[in-house]
Amino acid sequence: MNKIIYLFREGLINIWRHKMTGLTAILSLSISLYIIGLLSLGEGNTYKILQYFRSKYKIEVFFNQEVGNEEAVGIIHKIKKIKGIRNVTIIEKEDAIRIFKDQFGEDIIDVLGYNPLPVSAVVNLERNKKESIRVEPIIKSIRKINQINEIKYQGNLISKIERNFKKVTDRLPIISFSITIIALLIIYNTIKLSIYSRKESIKTLQLIGASRLFIKLPFIIEGVLLGLLSIVIVIPSLLLTVEALNYFISNYSTFSITLGVDLSIFLKLFLMTTFITFFGSFRASSRFLK
Amino acid sequence: MIKFQNVSYAHNKGYGVSNLNMDIPDGEFAFLIGPTGSGKTTLMRLVYFDLFPDTGHVMVNGFFSNKISKRQIPKARKSIGMVFQDYKLLSDRTLFENISLPLHVLGFKTKEINSRVEEALDLVGLVGKEDHFSYELSGGEQQRACLARAIIKEPDVILADEPTGNLDPVASFELVRLLETINETGTTILMASHNYSLIKGRGKPIYELKDGILRVR
Repeated sequence: MNKIIYLFREGLINIWRHKMTGLTAILSLSISLYIIGLLSLGEGNTYKILQYFRSKYKIEVFFNQEVGNEEAVGIIHKIKKIKGIRNVTIIEKEDAIRIFKDQFGEDIIDVLGYNPLPVSAVVNLERNKKESIRVEPIIKSIRKINQINEIKYQGNLISKIERNFKKVTDRLPIISFSITIIALLIIYNTIKLSIYSRKESIKTLQLIGASRLFIKLPFIIEGVLLGLLSIVIVIPSLLLTVEALNYFISNYSTFSITLGVDLSIFLKLFLMTTFITFFGSFRASSRFLK
Repeated sequence: MIKFQNVSYAHNKGYGVSNLNMDIPDGEFAFLIGPTGSGKTTLMRLVYFDLFPDTGHVMVNGFFSNKISKRQIPKARKSIGMVFQDYKLLSDRTLFENISLPLHVLGFKTKEINSRVEEALDLVGLVGKEDHFSYELSGGEQQRACLARAIIKEPDVILADEPTGNLDPVASFELVRLLETINETGTTILMASHNYSLIKGRGKPIYELKDGILRVR
């Protein structure tokens, strides 16, 4: 126990002895971890944004004139069965008159003497699917159903959003992995420098009978502590960033999205940092302590 | 106990030691003399397993150079105290921290460390200088600090490689006296020096190294 306390203290002293190197390492590590954290938060929230767009996206289906409200309900059941559709809301002839009046300020019966507006339906897409939703096959399937006169939708906007979402999520692991390697190299080189600057002390320790592990441990502890200090900077920074983004979205944009923070990301970040700093400093001390 | 049996070692540049045979029993104080470059440091390094013989073998406290594994070297060195000409004190640590270092390596408790450091400082006459850094001490004081660090773990063997090399005659004499006092407690001591006048007439065996060849004087 005494030995462990001593070695832990040595690790702390090592950081203090190489303040500038340590500070540089902490800042570089913090930047790397911040980017990884942002990417992880981004991944979670991109899906949320996608869900938001999916919920706003609608397909309007107009039935033939002769289709009555009851027949429309039957058709709607068929539409509901199409893959990728969450719900379908019927707009009966009477509703259509009301909507027309809301939009144009006049009663269409007064203008034309009859109601020319067909029964229609608003189709909403599935929101919670992880895989991307393609609109074209849905439109094709709807068209195949009898008694459908016209389909109106916002083109391929949702598909474009879906494609971009996929592009981002596909690249995230590669980007995160690359930054993790950078973080690993930062800690590896910091420990390497620390070992070089303490070469004389290491030689003395070897001569008085210190084991390899006894000499290595303070360097490993130093590496892990640098990582943990970086985490202390990164977590509040990420929380502040999300707060700031939410403030800008709610005050300066038309979107009604609130970005969320999945706290498990911080746990993952903590575990990842502990692992890479341990691994990096272990490798460096094993390689340079002969 | 230190035993050399037909030991030869050559450095890359050619010099080294040749066919050494030496037997220093437990509790003995032996001197090793020879001019600079005669192989004294090489012999010392062979004792603390920093070098390994090309032929023959060295035995120290039951550890054999031809059998010892890399992992066992720290264990072997734990029973050896070393005093160097250049002291090898850590300049970023206080005298107390330097002297207590071997005890931390051995995993001693704080209380035991404090009392042992106190004793060692008392023995080498450095009480009151615990908080000084090595650069704040004179050459003689640094060498005594180095000796305190060597004896604090109560080793079976002390190797002193030219410990008086950087000291004035008075400090040199005092150091040898100190080593003799330590030897009286049963510690085996091998001290290398090129200063014959310092060691002659002390009634201790003297090994002379010249051009890598050893003979008893």
